[in-house]
Amino acid sequence: MTGYIARRLLFVVLVLVAVSMLVFSITALLPANVAHLILGPFAPPEQVRALELKLGLTDPIWLQYVRWAGGFLSGNLGESTLMNRPIGPLLMEAIGRSMMLTGASFVLIAVIGIGLGIIAALRHGGPLDHGISVGTYLGIAVPEFFWAIIVIIVVAAWLGWLPASGYEPLSAGFTVWAKHLIAPTMTLVFGHLAHVSRLTRSSMIEVLQSPYVTAARAKGLPERVVVMHHALRNALLPTITVLALDFGRLMGGIVVVETIFAYPGLGRLIVFSIQNRDLPTLQAAILVVAAIYALANLLADLLYARFNPKIRFGRNVG
Amino acid sequence: MLLIDDLTVRYRTPGGEIEALSSISLQVEKGSTVALVGESGSGKSTVALAAMGLLPQEASIPSGRILFDGQDIMMMNVEERRRLRGSRIGLIFQDPFSVLNPSLRIGDQVGEGLVHHRGFSTERAFARAIELLDEVGIVRPESVAKAYPHELSGGMRQRALIAGALASEPDLLILDEPTTALDVTIEAQILDLLEGLRRQRGMTMVFISHNLGVVRRISDEVAVLYAGQIIEQGRTEDVLQRPIHPYAKGLLAAIPRIGQKQGRLAAIPGRLPDLRNPPTGCRFARRCPFATPDSDKPQILRKLGDRQVRCTNAEALREAPWPRPGESEQFAEVVRSPHAGPVVAVEHLTKTFGRHAGFAFKWRRLATSTEIKPVNDISIEVAAGEVLGLVGESGSGKTTLGLSILRLVEPDSGTIRIAGEMVSGKAQRALESMRRSAQIVFQNPDSSLNPRKTIGELLARPIERFRLAPSGEIPARVRQLLDLVRLPAHYADRYAHQMSGGEKQRVGIARALATEPRFIVCDEPVSALDVSVQAAIVNLLADLRDRLGVAYLFISHDISVVAHIADRVAVMHHGKMVEIGRADEVMNAPKHPYTMKLLSAVPRIDGPAPRSVGERHGQVA
Amino acid sequence: MPASTPRSGSVAMSVDQITEAPVIEAAPRRPMSLQLKVGLVITGSIVLLGLLAPWIAPHPWDTISMRTRFVPPNATYWFGTDEYGRDVLSRLLMGTRLSLAMGVSATLVSLAVGIPMGLAAGYFRGWVDEVLMRLADVFMAIPPIMLGLLVLAVTPPALWKTALAVGFVYIPPIARLARSVTLTLANEEFIQAAKARAETNSYILFREILPNAWPPLIVEASLRVTYAILLGSALSFLGLGAQPPSSDWGLMISEARAFIDRAPWIALAPGFAMCLLVIGINLLGDGARERLDPRLKSRVTER
Repeated sequence: MTGYIARRLLFVVLVLVAVSMLVFSITALLPANVAHLILGPFAPPEQVRALELKLGLTDPIWLQYVRWAGGFLSGNLGESTLMNRPIGPLLMEAIGRSMMLTGASFVLIAVIGIGLGIIAALRHGGPLDHGISVGTYLGIAVPEFFWAIIVIIVVAAWLGWLPASGYEPLSAGFTVWAKHLIAPTMTLVFGHLAHVSRLTRSSMIEVLQSPYVTAARAKGLPERVVVMHHALRNALLPTITVLALDFGRLMGGIVVVETIFAYPGLGRLIVFSIQNRDLPTLQAAILVVAAIYALANLLADLLYARFNPKIRFGRNVG
Repeated sequence: MLLIDDLTVRYRTPGGEIEALSSISLQVEKGSTVALVGESGSGKSTVALAAMGLLPQEASIPSGRILFDGQDIMMMNVEERRRLRGSRIGLIFQDPFSVLNPSLRIGDQVGEGLVHHRGFSTERAFARAIELLDEVGIVRPESVAKAYPHELSGGMRQRALIAGALASEPDLLILDEPTTALDVTIEAQILDLLEGLRRQRGMTMVFISHNLGVVRRISDEVAVLYAGQIIEQGRTEDVLQRPIHPYAKGLLAAIPRIGQKQGRLAAIPGRLPDLRNPPTGCRFARRCPFATPDSDKPQILRKLGDRQVRCTNAEALREAPWPRPGESEQFAEVVRSPHAGPVVAVEHLTKTFGRHAGFAFKWRRLATSTEIKPVNDISIEVAAGEVLGLVGESGSGKTTLGLSILRLVEPDSGTIRIAGEMVSGKAQRALESMRRSAQIVFQNPDSSLNPRKTIGELLARPIERFRLAPSGEIPARVRQLLDLVRLPAHYADRYAHQMSGGEKQRVGIARALATEPRFIVCDEPVSALDVSVQAAIVNLLADLRDRLGVAYLFISHDISVVAHIADRVAVMHHGKMVEIGRADEVMNAPKHPYTMKLLSAVPRIDGPAPRSVGERHGQVA
Repeated sequence: MPASTPRSGSVAMSVDQITEAPVIEAAPRRPMSLQLKVGLVITGSIVLLGLLAPWIAPHPWDTISMRTRFVPPNATYWFGTDEYGRDVLSRLLMGTRLSLAMGVSATLVSLAVGIPMGLAAGYFRGWVDEVLMRLADVFMAIPPIMLGLLVLAVTPPALWKTALAVGFVYIPPIARLARSVTLTLANEEFIQAAKARAETNSYILFREILPNAWPPLIVEASLRVTYAILLGSALSFLGLGAQPPSSDWGLMISEARAFIDRAPWIALAPGFAMCLLVIGINLLGDGARERLDPRLKSRVTER
């Protein structure tokens, strides 16, 4: 088990190194001249040249990468070309806000999604199952930005219950803070619920039809025991992996949702830095997202291994 | 104890409604063992599920009663039926690999019936589970109880399942093919265990199997099922030694017997009737050599002494034997290849698995597996036109040996010569002439034919590939090949899914013959087939050998089949060849202890009656 | 992920065994499921509307008319007009073509690259497999929309570039599916039989494996079209796809945001159109999947 964790951790590190190279090389292709961006479009050429030398932009790309990655590792993420602020604190603030949003959404998605999936599987073929199926079809079909618009129309514009956008820190009072969080959270939950519930449903149905569940019924166990003790344990195993995948999708979802709700998190920072050609911020932000995603996957793998006796005992696997 | 009365079960399928069981009546007396026997499609497993009230949703029961101890199971509500299951009726399934919950400990699964039926605490149930595991002959039951299913072998799992079924001391045990997924030596152990339990506990059992040898060892009474009907039932020894119904005669004649070498096996032509619309008359009539105009009338089970037979002509057929094909009727003279010397010579062949070769990126690998040698220093020769049988249990390395000889698996060391050509050490590209002279027939007819190609395309390809005929003559060659395996020429337009298992296997043989090989590896060629179909394929292979002089390496786990077809037999155990010799010598006077163990484990349908069947007389109505 | 799939046991088999015999006689064609029919009707009509858009659109889609701004839905303008007085229905119909083109072309890109990658990885195994799949892991470590943003950040936005980027983003999942299908097929005995007659690798890959891999790949591709449509429109919504005055649905919704309280119909019409299209294709794909291979029903799809 320890060896397994070590290997997975090493894999995560390697993936992140590769992602950093990918991110760096793609942004290096950007036609925008960084020096021009900093100095403005009408700066005299000598001044541009001097700054390029100072920033090392004339060096070969691998050297630039090494310097950038080295800075990243030593905690120096560089400075945002747009806001003239160190990227580190900028990013930390954004991550914190985004984590509130994704964390709340993730918990709701996991609880409601798994619950709906199990109910649908137990009522397989019944009206409740069909209802949930239709609902999840809608959930999959509606893009996040359209959910956002519906939420805004209904909750903010029509009912007038919540602010349509923006963010207030917790220091401004719990209710104000929470009110700004509800609409984007609702959007994310609507947009991602379907995936989890559909997968839980199909995995549960498959398990309920498996020979060992029939065998458990043949032992005359009460249906409650068959479902809770025999089926659920095995059905939820693949759901762990799916939840990690969904965490990654949530990290993608915040791009759109934060933009619409003017929520100053990681997603909005990324869109903002692209629109304004703020390279160092973009590189750092994407790398952070990849790291969070990779760690979520790692956690899922470890949980999967923890609950799967075949892996836990490391025998007969190959 | 159990009485099934006029039970009919239908399944809704996408193709229409199928009648799986038609008016089955069966009575099982307390303390007796009744066997239900039949090939695939006979409906035998449906009986077990119906008796447990576990039929799938697609099933409907238009008529019939199932009485357990006088109570009608079908009149009970769900809760009453649940309480009956697992406490008074136990069920044991065929495949011990999938019926144990992968994420629960063995001890919990064995003991959980006690928790819910007897109100035991979890700890007490676990302790009792350990006792039960001990009782079913598991060594170190404490550690097995704490293990998870994937850590156990098939035989151990089946013992654990039996322990679980015994936990609440049921009055009736229903066993659905409990030994089919196991090796013969394990099967023999499980049968011993069941016999012992029956003696000690006076248990009543319903034993469902396709294997008549197994049935003979375990049961007092037998009911033979065909296409959803019981066609004959009576005392096991009577039915097996003197079958009356033509289907029962055919079935028994089709089974190869060790130590009784025959020229050809008897086979049953044709196939099951369409159960969406079963014939009103005798369901076997179209395949029956004794059919008369009376066969078209509805048939009922008629009493003949203590036997019941579903055939109007039962009395007349009492002594009539199933027609046997003549000894090599068509080819009196065996054509041997003119080449001198062995067609295949293998020396010191070794293949090791489990080494990490190649690329170093193995992040996902969880545990380094230990080295195993499925083929360990094997040397064999096969003469032209000879059949070398290769027997062994699962994991003995027999298939790996077959594939290594053909370089479909790369051996680690050793030399291979095929038709005089040194095959080992050559690059795959340089093996063209070997690929022509050596071919292979596979086990699984569903997997061995590309489902997207017609049979004609499948058979034409080897001819094109080796340019064995100008393209204009290929259709004629395909027709010849189909004729060789006794399939009609219009099958060239069919796809694999439009044929039965036996027919697909014939195509597989024809494809191997298309390159005009001198040597064919037959890897379990009849293992996936029913007995009656198996006999026809074995006969076909024997005929082709005589006619074309082709040599076989005939790999099988079924010793009776190997004993029937092979000239010489090699026995493999854990990657080593423990014995090789003339078939009759190996079968009648085995020298190696493992061979003796293997042979004594085979349940036979002839020879002296097995020990346990005797005084008890259950009655079957 | 090593999800444990139980082998088909005795219970499931009892039905199969019985069905075997009759199916041989004449394989009956199953009637189309309701799911498949509804999917066909929805998708078919949307595709038809998109193809005929220039001829059936009731008004010009791009003529600005200040006199008809923000007209609510009525008999002349069924879906109302937008902030430039353009007919929403006509824009919607023209946008249908853009969405379909985006979905189909992006998916073709992913298939063209992903299928050969997956075939090679699954068939050759070894280092080819390791290199290709680890590469896929790297790309899949970034959420699709961010990868799309990253790729598009490099160049001035245009719809065709968005399609290309979306296609690029979805190569890894296609490659993974093609690989897993190939892995299963490569273990079939008919592949061994082909090797036993010294067939070349390319014959085995393209003549034996690929024809059997098509059905699941086609079904997956149809579902991928919806992902591509959604991602493409999200990128357009963020300003990295179609540019004004294009009537791309994502862009329409983005532009309509400012007028949600005054004229919600401008945003709702393309939104609902997109839902309908995605639902239609999903129904079609799922229906086809169940028809082709019921065992694939529960497979995990990754977005």
